Amino acid sequence: MAAAVTSRLTAAVCRQFQRVVTVSSYTQPQCATQAFSKFHSCQRRQTYDSWWFRSSTNNRALHTSCVREGLEDFFDLPENWGEQTVKSGAPWTGKQLRVKSNEDLHKLWYVLLKEKNMLLTLEQEAKRQRLPMPSPERLKKVERSMKRLDTVVTEREDSLRLLQTGQERGRPGEWRRNVFGKTFWYRFKEHPIPWYLNSRYKRRRFFEPSHVAPYTRLSLEKYLRSKIRKEKREKRNQKMLAAVFPKKTALA
Amino acid sequence: TSRTLIEIYPLYQLGNPQLRIFRPTFNLTLVRPGKEQPPDTVQFRIPLEMTKFDVRNYLEKIYSVPVAAVRTRIQYCTNKKRNHLNQRVKRPDYKVAYVQLAQQQTFQFPDIFPEKDRKHEEGSVEEMQEKFMEDERQRQKPDPRRGGVTEWFGL
Repeated sequence: MAAAVTSRLTAAVCRQFQRVVTVSSYTQPQCATQAFSKFHSCQRRQTYDSWWFRSSTNNRALHTSCVREGLEDFFDLPENWGEQTVKSGAPWTGKQLRVKSNEDLHKLWYVLLKEKNMLLTLEQEAKRQRLPMPSPERLKKVERSMKRLDTVVTEREDSLRLLQTGQERGRPGEWRRNVFGKTFWYRFKEHPIPWYLNSRYKRRRFFEPSHVAPYTRLSLEKYLRSKIRKEKREKRNQKMLAAVFPKKTALA
Repeated sequence: TSRTLIEIYPLYQLGNPQLRIFRPTFNLTLVRPGKEQPPDTVQFRIPLEMTKFDVRNYLEKIYSVPVAAVRTRIQYCTNKKRNHLNQRVKRPDYKVAYVQLAQQQTFQFPDIFPEKDRKHEEGSVEEMQEKFMEDERQRQKPDPRRGGVTEWFGL
């Protein structure tokens, strides 16, 4: 009701412009963002609706051509401009994220992405104005949340793939030996032509030449020696500690 | 599809479906333009791997900003600076995108750090510090009876 009134008012005000009112199809689910914001205990943007005529009941955003639409999401709420610190909650943990459905995680990813963009804009502007950025720990929180979200999604994809196809990896690969005699996991790449027509690929040698073989053996010996030395050092250390702190059996 | 450590996209051949990226990892930074820009131009710093089409789709889909045109350039940053070990330190390069808005919209970069007079609560450390600084400043001021004349000569 109030939204309709305000929309009519804004339409009257901006009648001089060509495109008077653009009702965008972009919906920001109200309850979703409140639940999905990075700070699951903090109030976020949806409570604030006077600046760009967004009503709390109506899901569709109403913009007029005189306001910079959508680009406001690159900045914080206007009441936080100029503050020294902005309060924020804890980042999302993996445990919390694993409970959420795929659609929720997808939406949360975009919420976090927009938040990160906003924080980066703020950081750059603070550097420009040579002022301290308010609460820079928010960036770290967002990055960690996004990393954990990615971990959860990859876990789900891996398990699905294992169940459906039995493949452990999404990208095929195999163990190969390079020119230096080192064995490594070679990950396949997509090519439009087969390997025997790929001249650049044929120049890459996946075998060790005969004169490199002695060095492979030497590096293996070096590795084994260092491993044995480490184990001996550990044992020596434990023996020394046992000598300093003798084990006394508990006297009943 | 989730992103791998190095973003490797599937090979495109004629007739393949359009590549779609779910959960993009690109971050856009809105920056204040160094030089005067037309009123409908917005300046962004984007990752080097992004293209003009990526920027357009990103802004239209995620931010619902109508984009008329995008122009990009790569800013090369210096590798000349040296650290305390005399090693050259590279400042990372970045790509700048100049986005022109459609539908005759304008954008003016706002002032994000306006001066706000902060009132400290009673008995707090900041209030005491403020008072102390005020007193110091008062003590440092020259004698008002001399009428602005310096004190290093005279009686």
